[in-house]
Amino acid sequence: MNLLEALIFSTIEFAPALVLGTLGAVISERTGVVNIAVEGMMRAGAFAAAAAALVMPTPLGLLFGMAAGGTIGAIHALLCVRLRADQVVSGMALNLVALAGGTFLLESLFSPSGTPPIEQLGRWQIPLLSSVPILRALSGHSWLTYVALLAPLGLHTLLFRTALGLRLRAIGEKPAAAATMGISVSWLRVGAVVAGGVLSGLGGASLSTSTLDRFEHHMPSGLGFMAVAAMVFGRWTPLGAFGAALFFAFGNALRIGLASSIPQISEVIPQGFLLALPYVLTLVVLSVQRRQSDAPAALGTPYQPELR
Amino acid sequence: MALERASLELGEGELVAVVGENGAGKTSLMNVLYGLYQPDQGEIRIGGERVRLKSPKEALARGIGMVHQHFMLVPNLTVAENVVLGHEPRRFGLLDFQRACAQVEETCRRFGFRLDPRALVQDLSVGSQQKVEIVKALHRGARILILDEPTAVLTPQESDELFGVARELARAGHTVVFISHKLREVLSVAERIIVMRRGRTVAEVKAAGTSPEQLAELMVGGKLPEAIAAREPVSPQAPAVLELREVSAGGAHGKNALSGVSLTVRQGEIVGIAGVDGNGQSELAEVLTGLRAASGGQLFLEGQPLIGTPGDRRGRGLTHIPEDRLRRAIISPMTVEENMALGRQHAAPFAHGPWIDQEGRRERTARLLKDYDVRPQDPLARMGGLSGGNQQKVVVARELDPAPKVIVVVQPTRGLDIGAVAQVHRRLIAERARGAAVLLISLDLDEVLALADRVYVLFGGRIAGELVRAQFDERRIGRMMLGAPEAPPEIAAHG
Amino acid sequence: MASSSPWKRLTGLGASATPSVLAVGASLLICFLAIALTKNDFTVAVEAYAKMFWGGIGDWPGWAEGAPFTALSRPWGEAATKGGILLLTGLSVSVAFAVGLFNIGAQGQMLVGALSAAVVGAAFQLPALLHLPLCLLAAGVAGGLYAWLPAYLKLGRGVHEVISTIMLNWVAVSLVENWLVVGPLRAEAEGSHSRSGTEEILATAQLPRLLGEASRLHLGLVIALLAALGVWLWLTRTRFGFETRAVGLGPEAARASGIPVQRRTYQAMVLAGSLAGLAGALLVLGTEYKFPATLGAPYGFDGIAISLIGLNHPLGVTLSALLFGVLRAGGTHMQLLGVHKSFPELIQGLALLFIAGRVAWEAYRVRRRKITPLPPPGEAASDAPAVGV
Repeated sequence: MNLLEALIFSTIEFAPALVLGTLGAVISERTGVVNIAVEGMMRAGAFAAAAAALVMPTPLGLLFGMAAGGTIGAIHALLCVRLRADQVVSGMALNLVALAGGTFLLESLFSPSGTPPIEQLGRWQIPLLSSVPILRALSGHSWLTYVALLAPLGLHTLLFRTALGLRLRAIGEKPAAAATMGISVSWLRVGAVVAGGVLSGLGGASLSTSTLDRFEHHMPSGLGFMAVAAMVFGRWTPLGAFGAALFFAFGNALRIGLASSIPQISEVIPQGFLLALPYVLTLVVLSVQRRQSDAPAALGTPYQPELR
Repeated sequence: MALERASLELGEGELVAVVGENGAGKTSLMNVLYGLYQPDQGEIRIGGERVRLKSPKEALARGIGMVHQHFMLVPNLTVAENVVLGHEPRRFGLLDFQRACAQVEETCRRFGFRLDPRALVQDLSVGSQQKVEIVKALHRGARILILDEPTAVLTPQESDELFGVARELARAGHTVVFISHKLREVLSVAERIIVMRRGRTVAEVKAAGTSPEQLAELMVGGKLPEAIAAREPVSPQAPAVLELREVSAGGAHGKNALSGVSLTVRQGEIVGIAGVDGNGQSELAEVLTGLRAASGGQLFLEGQPLIGTPGDRRGRGLTHIPEDRLRRAIISPMTVEENMALGRQHAAPFAHGPWIDQEGRRERTARLLKDYDVRPQDPLARMGGLSGGNQQKVVVARELDPAPKVIVVVQPTRGLDIGAVAQVHRRLIAERARGAAVLLISLDLDEVLALADRVYVLFGGRIAGELVRAQFDERRIGRMMLGAPEAPPEIAAHG
Repeated sequence: MASSSPWKRLTGLGASATPSVLAVGASLLICFLAIALTKNDFTVAVEAYAKMFWGGIGDWPGWAEGAPFTALSRPWGEAATKGGILLLTGLSVSVAFAVGLFNIGAQGQMLVGALSAAVVGAAFQLPALLHLPLCLLAAGVAGGLYAWLPAYLKLGRGVHEVISTIMLNWVAVSLVENWLVVGPLRAEAEGSHSRSGTEEILATAQLPRLLGEASRLHLGLVIALLAALGVWLWLTRTRFGFETRAVGLGPEAARASGIPVQRRTYQAMVLAGSLAGLAGALLVLGTEYKFPATLGAPYGFDGIAISLIGLNHPLGVTLSALLFGVLRAGGTHMQLLGVHKSFPELIQGLALLFIAGRVAWEAYRVRRRKITPLPPPGEAASDAPAVGV
């Protein structure tokens, strides 16, 4: 494999967590619920999937990862939709709980540094691709990776081509309008936030079952926040967020690839610069835009039926 | 309690109006009918059958449609998407946009509306948006159509057009319910009028043979507050206190909201600004108060250029009663005395040096609360806990307290009950008598005509006309408010 | 004038503190059950909690039985050290809240503050009377400048501060810990073995200990308490604080009444950053004596919890910072029983989660007090600023 192939390969290896996490953020925020709890959802998903995979086949463990992310999503939904809590506070609280709770459970059940190794998800060699130069970098990933690469198209179709998607977008823009047309704003929002949690949980699970073969104590070490950045960078659209996530994953691959293949490079470009790059870029893009934000109009505003 | 033993009966093909003061329960009653609120007691019957409407969905299924005062439209969706939202046509599990457009076109044709189903709602005029709302209800098969304050944002001409549509619908067998507090309008369009007061339905009258005064007394439940007393005309020698020369300014969306506006307000004069919402009124107030920069022209206060921050202008005797009370005039989570200090927090009696003067503030607030009869008279009450009328009294008290030279008043009585309206109006008349120059910007043409000595009409950011009190004529001003009186109506009802 | 009576004020204070007390109590209980369940042993949980409390407020039972004074003073020192830092980051978040901004960036501001303190502390030869204040000043200025950025991005470019401060946290971590501290600012190797982190600060830059060798209790807590007092005076007693709160609670109304909204916003945000920067200085000048390889503890994020549990009021923030300082100091003692020292952070996170639901509690109180009449249409604007992230 040459350098380019290696870069593409490891970009795709890194992608699923970011892509699924950012889609989880998109679906939640499109309905008007701020979701900065992606980090916590991913951590819960990564831990639950790895812990479950110790006693059952890894693919079944993924279900536990999804359930764990969905549970955090459900708490977020309960707080934000039912109790009308501040959505940023709720998200940060869940991050803190997932961070400390994960450490607590890890130490109580396993060891402070991580779980024992599990069986990694199987990798697919795509028959024809594996012999084509460059393109063969697309082959040899876990099936979850391919799911993650197709998921953005799925979410795009859901949001922009189906009736459900129309309703989801409507409640993110003007919930009262949707409510007067007989649409249940609360339930759709709850559904979207939980679905976002499931997606993020799966993204976290990909870290511990596909990228690595165990849960490590620092997971997902900020990837959840990067996923939120990707969502903003991608202007709250599934495909835009997907592009941003791939770009950020490429940056990661580049950093690690450079560090291992050409160690001298860190003399010229310090690691820290490359690490900071996605965040700096997101800030730059946000600050040079001239038009109003593309964020859903009702984002962050709890819906109060009696105050329409 | 918002409603108490309210009753209402509607017949097929009827045009009924529900009137009452703000907070009388009109909208609440309609929301019960539309399934948005659940009644604690009582029942709803449709065609004799007792029904329970637990949600708008069920109301829609029973043929009840509602057009809300604040439009319930998603601005960045198309007309068709807005109309079919909630019962979308599908094909292979996907949304069938083409069929949605066809369906909406069909509904428009049946009821004689002209609307482009593919247009984005945010690009439509207010009048067209209201038509989308009506089409939305009809599309869902509404037989009973509730219109909540439908003319609040329309010109007299647009309102006439709406009444035409309503009459047509009634003739075709629909039941149309108007909610309004504009009595003349109600008397001209409805056949039967139901009066609400404090959550109860207190009276029912035939429109024929009822006068606006009778209706108003039923609404208030007693004699009306005194009408505004006759007054001396403004002396032609009175000096111009406020003067604008060819003032232009940008609007919220970058385009020119004001272009070449020139006007004067003299000492002891109330000058009204009439116009349909969105023709530059807000921008005019903002330019005057320093909240928005003028892109051209000059402003003068007593002959000196009026420039600087809102704070500077306040210091020169220009005060402001803004239209959006909750957003611009008060801070709900703060106490009444803190709100009283807003804008004057840096000077006596509210501060000495960098420190807040707690006692001075308390005393001044207590005095003003007494003068203006604000309830409760508690300087430490939370502002947001006061009723709308009392909040407005606090704002008026604060803005009129240091005897200002110029008062810029925007929509000062929106959402107030008749008693509070009368007090605000009396205060403005008193300021005029004291010699203040008052610029009154209001969407309520009746209010402008009742108070102003002179009226400018704003249309498209320009002064479309100027009339003195003797020339006041509602129809004529209405035509000016539309700019081009011969503008072809966008849609017309059948027949 | 009912609500101005002292009794009413006192009950009002009690009522507003109730959600916080309940939240902390509930999370203490849940975490207790968590230990009991994971260890499958009730007595372990009791013992762990005992260790946590005595490890924070001092081993009074031991002292009563003749243990030396250090059994009390050591835990005090640990609790005060952590409490002081938490108080400053908590104040940082509160001050930003006062002007209506959500400062998630205290972590990044603390980081640059800590680094500045470490650099100034190691680089200059000065008498302590000058050196220490200079280090504190450097940390405050660095934190303040780093917080100026999101304020500029918000006011000048319309970037929401939640997004920008999250991004800036990671920028700070990346640049400080993965570049400066491992690169240009790394301590010189001492003979054959290399050292991590920056050069050690000089003794003149260290925060003096108040109880000598008996405890690590140092001047930092005093600085933090003074900061809390200052913030309280500023917010409630000066017109600048009044204007700042007006901007936070009603920005449009503040602007219309002539308050310089932008200036107050910049000032508050820079102050918030300075407070977080000072927290970093306390960490470096009081405990670490250098910028270590990684700063580790997310005190900046903790500040969000501390601030909200303390209802964003300087007094409440002080109380909640001291409480969690105590719990955290005791938390290290739980490790003997196999409970991770970050356990108190779990308590704190859960408490914040309950606080997040306090709107429901308040709505319940309002409902109980009176049936609110329906607001007329168009008056339905809510008090809460929309977040729009």
